[in-house]
Amino acid sequence: MVNDAFTFLVGGKAGEGAKKTGSVAAQFFTSKGLHVFQYVDYMSLIRGGHNFSVVSTSNRWISNHYMKANLIVNLDKRSYDTHKNHLAENGIMVYNSDVEGDMEGVGVPLTSVAKNYPKPRLMLGVGGVSILAAAIGFTKEKMNVIIGREYPSGKEENISYATKIYDIVYPEIGNKFQLKEGDKLRPIISGNQAISLGAIAAGLDVYFGYPMTPASSILHFMAAQSDNYGLTVIHPENEIAVINMAIGSTFAGAKTMVGSSGGGFALMEEGFSLAGMAEAPILCALSMRSGPATGVPTYTEQGDLNFALNAGHGEFLRIVASPSTIEEAYYLTAEMLELVWRFQTPGIILTEKHLSESEMTVDINLDKTSWAEPKMHSGGEFKRYFNTEDGISPLLFPPSKEVIKWTSYEHDELGITTENADAINLMHNKRAKKNKAIIEYLKTKNTINIFGEKGPLIFTYGSTTMSVLEALKCGDIEARVIQPRFLSPFPVWELDGYKKESVISIELSKAGQFSNLLKDKTGIVSETLLNRYDGRPFDPIELSDQIKEVL
Amino acid sequence: MEELGTYAEKTWCPGCGNFGILSAFKKAVIKLEEKGISRDKIIIASGIGCHGKMFDYLNLSGFYSLHGRDMATIQGIKIANPKLKVVTFSGDGNCMGEGLAHTLFAAKRNADITILMHNNGVYALTTGQFTPLSEKGWKGPSTPKGSIEEPFNPLSLLLEAGATFLARAFPAKADHFIDLIVQAVEHEGFSFIEILQPAVAYRNTWEFYKNNTEILKDEPKTYVEAMKVAKRRDKLPIGVIYRKAKPVYHKELYGNFNPTLESLSREKRLEKIKDLLSVK
Repeated sequence: MVNDAFTFLVGGKAGEGAKKTGSVAAQFFTSKGLHVFQYVDYMSLIRGGHNFSVVSTSNRWISNHYMKANLIVNLDKRSYDTHKNHLAENGIMVYNSDVEGDMEGVGVPLTSVAKNYPKPRLMLGVGGVSILAAAIGFTKEKMNVIIGREYPSGKEENISYATKIYDIVYPEIGNKFQLKEGDKLRPIISGNQAISLGAIAAGLDVYFGYPMTPASSILHFMAAQSDNYGLTVIHPENEIAVINMAIGSTFAGAKTMVGSSGGGFALMEEGFSLAGMAEAPILCALSMRSGPATGVPTYTEQGDLNFALNAGHGEFLRIVASPSTIEEAYYLTAEMLELVWRFQTPGIILTEKHLSESEMTVDINLDKTSWAEPKMHSGGEFKRYFNTEDGISPLLFPPSKEVIKWTSYEHDELGITTENADAINLMHNKRAKKNKAIIEYLKTKNTINIFGEKGPLIFTYGSTTMSVLEALKCGDIEARVIQPRFLSPFPVWELDGYKKESVISIELSKAGQFSNLLKDKTGIVSETLLNRYDGRPFDPIELSDQIKEVL
Repeated sequence: MEELGTYAEKTWCPGCGNFGILSAFKKAVIKLEEKGISRDKIIIASGIGCHGKMFDYLNLSGFYSLHGRDMATIQGIKIANPKLKVVTFSGDGNCMGEGLAHTLFAAKRNADITILMHNNGVYALTTGQFTPLSEKGWKGPSTPKGSIEEPFNPLSLLLEAGATFLARAFPAKADHFIDLIVQAVEHEGFSFIEILQPAVAYRNTWEFYKNNTEILKDEPKTYVEAMKVAKRRDKLPIGVIYRKAKPVYHKELYGNFNPTLESLSREKRLEKIKDLLSVK
């Protein structure tokens, strides 16, 4: 096994700041020009419980965190119990020596030192930061610059506390891990930030959302950025209002997006179907969590693939795409906004909690961003549903002297309700022409990613791709990985050459929805399905062992 | 005025109250044009039900929405381009049943929209079931022994929710009704007219309303007075029941900005993202 990554794990009760400690740790690594992947594991509660953050870093591209950590900092006993088997060989286990219990490793009086300050409980996470700083040989000065920037509230106290903890631990663990320098400073962003930025870059004007983990941070990021980008961000009464308002906004010419997880998206289905009939360009970010129903709100799964592919009643073109990495989430969201406007139909950017809420260093080439630009009516008599050769009717937005009618009923070209058999056929056929048109268009685009040149063939999709690539890397396995970026229309034209091969499918679904889709669409049968559905993403080391077993 | 109509075949029952609403609305559009609100800026919508056919019969731009969702649709239109005046025709089942949450929240946030609620007290298009506004005891195919629920009072409900313009109208008093539509559309904020609409096939209420409505002589000045008038049952007062000036939702949200017309260019967006992603 080749593990050239360094991993830091910090855990504690919700409210003690483990999540934030992970983010600051990531800043330490990015400041050295390293690649970083950060995973956050938290429970659906505000105080108590157990939260932890895992940050893996390397001087090469790294696409998943490792559960075996080189340095583990436990702010409480529960964290210690949870992670005592997660220590990598020659790793250091740090525990809070002020809490009761039988623990081994390096004890640090995190709580008693914090008691000298006004908000002791909130400071424990800062202690985690300084333990990491000491262990990787960061100078106190460099550490304090980052702490001052990242913990602006109570800055002086935080710096003073961090310095004390640093001095306590340095003699024992100081400079134990020498990290290499990286090649380039890179920004680190979350998957939901990438999705938001992709949409904004492609022309988003209005975002509607109702809070639902793990999509909520799209709503929060958009709201925080609204003034900067001239965005209008609205949190209405429910998801039904979300999608219907969004469709209304597209009628007026605004580029809109909505976002939710499975349960919220279920409420949007009625409106999703309306978008199919009215030919409203609506983009939905659907971030999957463990289901069904309320499921496990803050954990990951890929159980909503079939749901996304079949969203909304009736026959109409649905575009579904799923990004493999946080970087791709940026480009693909922009592409999707462009596509829904080009084909005037609803689309889904399908992702998972693992991508939405993890953070990763990215290298984004902004010039490659798509821009949503619909085909506009060029004058003369206007018919909203004009039956063109490719089924795409040019658009016009109000106010206009021409009458513009969008409708949920079956309709004639002008948008007036019809029950006439020929007229129904005409419109069904018009909409169906878009199914062909989009395939011709997508044939000119990148619809699948292929990683690797030889070796066994693995199919996967979404953020599981990141876990697979990291597993191949650490397991030193030579394999080819195919990840369809588009799931509807499914890029069958790219996959003709693989029908006779023996295939492994890897996904986070009990039923193997993706491997079934692959078989239905292409006839490619997965000999092996490696799946996981306990809410956790694959760990690269465990997954590489599983892959080796089946090879 | 002819050009305000379309070629769509009228499929309301002869004698239906909807005919009066259609003709009054066309006249109101002409009056609004005289007041400087051109028809291209008047965007109509409707839910699903007999009332919804208004959409097909009017040669105006807009959105024939889903059942109960038109209140959300027009809020979305208004938010995207606040220069537009948005009006929805909404049946009582549509507005107070399937779409109640949207209606209440639109009033709560003082969304600058107009709802013309066709209150016929029955789901006519789906053959006569009781609505949230049908009186207790209404016998329809879903309540053959009579409905056992008390109805909502739409005006007091919306007054409580935060509506800033509330009126009741009876289309037989055509000029009075037309004037109310004009005022509702002109009102900056959430405006709502309960239109007493006879549905001849199920509830022929023409005579009842002729005998039991009266034009309000004095517009209530306060919330408390308005609530009293809204709750009157001896006679159904018609006219403006409540009117209040209050900041509207979209202006509270983004001032005088226009999301569609002032959308940022691609270059500016990329420049800002570049800045956001630059490593400090």
